[in-house]
Amino acid sequence: VDYSDSVDVVAFRRDLRTWLANRAPATADADIATTVAWYRDLAAAGYVAVSLPAVYGGRGLPDSYEAVVNEELAAAGALPQPPIGHIAHAVADFGSDELRGRVLPGLLACTEIWCQGFSEPGAGSDLADIATSARPDADGTGLRVTGQKIWTSGAMWSQWCLLLARTDPEAPKHRGLSMLVVDMDSPGIDRREITMSTGSREFAEVFFDGVSVPRSNVVGEPGQGWQIAMSMLTYERGPADMGWVGRMGAVLAGAEEDVRTGRRKADDALRRRLATARVGLQVLQWHVRRSLARRQHELPGAEGSVDKLLATRVEQDLYATLADLAGADAVAGETTAFSSYLYSRAQSIYGGTQQIQRNIVAHRVLGLPRE
Amino acid sequence: VDVGLSAEQEALASAVAALATDITARWTPGRGPDTVASCVPDPQTWQAISTAGLLGLRTETGDAGASCLDACVVVEQFARHCTPVPVLGTLLLVEQLRLRGAAPDVLERVGSGALRAAVTLTGDLREFADGVAAARSWDCAGADLAVVAGPDTATGYRFEEHRAADVTRAWGEIDAAGTAESLGELAPASPDTTARLTAFALTVLCADLLGVMQAALDSAVDHARNRRQFGVPIGSFQAVAHLAAEALVSVEATRSAVWYSAWASDTLPAGEAAAVARAAKAFASANAVAVAETAVQIHGGMGMTWEAGPHLWLRRAQTTRRVLGDEHHQYGILAGERLGAGERTE
Repeated sequence: VDYSDSVDVVAFRRDLRTWLANRAPATADADIATTVAWYRDLAAAGYVAVSLPAVYGGRGLPDSYEAVVNEELAAAGALPQPPIGHIAHAVADFGSDELRGRVLPGLLACTEIWCQGFSEPGAGSDLADIATSARPDADGTGLRVTGQKIWTSGAMWSQWCLLLARTDPEAPKHRGLSMLVVDMDSPGIDRREITMSTGSREFAEVFFDGVSVPRSNVVGEPGQGWQIAMSMLTYERGPADMGWVGRMGAVLAGAEEDVRTGRRKADDALRRRLATARVGLQVLQWHVRRSLARRQHELPGAEGSVDKLLATRVEQDLYATLADLAGADAVAGETTAFSSYLYSRAQSIYGGTQQIQRNIVAHRVLGLPRE
Repeated sequence: VDVGLSAEQEALASAVAALATDITARWTPGRGPDTVASCVPDPQTWQAISTAGLLGLRTETGDAGASCLDACVVVEQFARHCTPVPVLGTLLLVEQLRLRGAAPDVLERVGSGALRAAVTLTGDLREFADGVAAARSWDCAGADLAVVAGPDTATGYRFEEHRAADVTRAWGEIDAAGTAESLGELAPASPDTTARLTAFALTVLCADLLGVMQAALDSAVDHARNRRQFGVPIGSFQAVAHLAAEALVSVEATRSAVWYSAWASDTLPAGEAAAVARAAKAFASANAVAVAETAVQIHGGMGMTWEAGPHLWLRRAQTTRRVLGDEHHQYGILAGERLGAGERTE
C-alpha cells in the first residue's frame, strides 16, 4: 500500500494548480452558459476525460488521474469535471472506429453537450422494460424512434442523446435493446422541462415521434444495448465519475470554518455530527482511492455498487448535518442549505436506487440467491 | 499510488490464517459461560506465535522491522478466526516501549515471548495508563506482568486475571501493593511519540475490528444461503439480503480505512497520522458493532444462543470498540481539533 503521489502525478498536479491559479473557475451556482464555457476551457487545457485515449481528446492516463483532477478542482472551489465519463466509455469501449472518430472529439472537448436517455415513465428500476422503439424505416437505410424518456438531465440544452431503445420486440426483454446516438435537433423530438424538487431545472422529458436515426449511429451491435447500459452504470456508480467527493470536502470545510470563527453556533451534539460527517467523507475518499487503484488491473464491476452505497450514506449524512447547522435559516431564511439537503436525497435514487444497488451487491458480490 | 497488499503480505495473511485456524480448533467456547475454555495460550500456542516472530514484529522499524500494515494483516487474521491469543496487546506494548526508548533487552524479551507482558490502560479504557491507580491490563491472558509506562520508568505488576464481555481476551486487575518489577528507564513522552503511538495503536485496533466484521459477515451470508423458511433460503428475501449488502459496504469501507491509516501511521507526520487513525477508529468502532449486530439478527433465534458464533464477534467488537476510545470519544477529540474549543454546553 502506497498512497503517495508518483513523480508524474506530482508534476500533473503542479501543472493543474498553476493553470487553475490563473483562472476564475465556474462555481456550483453558475448558470448553464457559464458552466459550459468553463467545461470547454477545462477541456481545451487537457483536463477533461484524461483517462480516455489521446486520439479522441483524452490523455490516456490511468483512472486515478480523474480523481486528482477532481481533488484539485474542489480545492480551487471550482465545479467538478463534466460528468461525461460513462458516456465516453460507452462509445469508446463499444462503438465502431467510425462512430468514435465522429462523436468522441466533440464530447470530450465539450463543444457538444450530451444527455443520456434511459428511464421512461414505465421503466425506472426495471430499466430493461423500456418501451421506446427503434424500427427499420421504410427504405431500410435507418431506424425510426418512437417513445418517451423522462428525468433526462441536461436534455434541454443537449445536442446529442445516448438513447436506449428496443430494436427487437420479439427477443427476451434484456436482449432486444440497442444503444443509439441521436441528434437532438432531429425532426420529431419534443422536449419539456421538468423542475426538480430543489427548484433546479436540469431535468426534462423527451418525446420521440418517428425520429430518424442512421444505422451508423448504433453503438456496438444491435441487441447489445443492455450490456452497454450496465457497463455505463458501473462507471456512473464508480469513483471516476464521483467528481463531487472533493466538492463535498470543500463544502464541509466551509461549515467547519463557520463554526471555528463563531459565524455559526454549534452545540456539542452538532459538533460531533460535523466530526462524524468529516470522518465519513475521509473514509469515502480513502475508499475511492482504493477503488481507482483496483481499476488499473481490472474492469469495473459490481463493486461500483458498494462505492455508490457508501457515497449515499456519506452525502446524505453530510447535507442533513449542514442543514441542521444552518438551523432556522434552513427553513425560514436563505435556503441554500435546505436545497443542498433536498438534492442529496437524489443520491439514493439516480443511477440505480439504493434498493437496486443492494440487490446487485447481494446477488453479484455476496452470492445470495435471487427471489 | 499502489493500494493493495503485497505478495509478501498476502503470504503473511495465509500463514497467520493457518496458524489461527489451528489454534482456534484447540479452543472451545463451550456450551455457556461456565464451560468456555480458558483464553490463556497453551505452551504449544505460545511457542508457535513466538517462533513465527509475530509478537516482535515491531521491536525494530524501518527496513529491519515490520510496517504497520504488516501488523494489521496479522491482527486481522487472528480476529477473523476469533482466536484467543494475546498478540494485539503485546504488539501495543512493544510499540509503546519502543517509542518511549525502552532498553533493547527489554524489547527483545517481550518481543520474543520470553517475558510474557501485557499492556495497561486507564480505568475508562480511553488511554494508556501512566500509573497504577484504577488501571486495567488488557489482552493479558497468560502474562506474567502488566506493564505500566510511567513518566520515566516502565514497571511490571502482578495482576488478577478475569474475563468479562469478550471471552477471547482477559482483563487484569493490577495488584498495586504486590511485588513490582522494574523494566528500566523510559524517555519522557513527547507530543510526537504520543501521536505516533496513538496512530499505530488505533490502527491495529481497527484491524481487529475489521477481522471481526469480516467473520461476522461471512457467517451471516453463509447462514442466509442455507437457512430455509417459507420453502426458500432466507437470503433470497430482500429484507435479509439488504442487511447483508449494507454490512459488506461497512466491511469494505473499514478495510479502506485500515489500509490508509496503516500507510499514514508509517508515512505522514505524527499529528496527521494520529488524526487519520482517530477517524478510522471512530468509523470502525461504529461499523463493527453494526455488522456484528446484523450477524446476530440474520442468525435469528440461533444468533441469541451461546452455541452459534455471532455473540462471540459482538462481544469482541463491543470490547475492542471501547479500547483507547469508542467513536463518541474520537468524535469529541476530532471536533475539538477541527472546530476549536467552541462553547461548552456540558
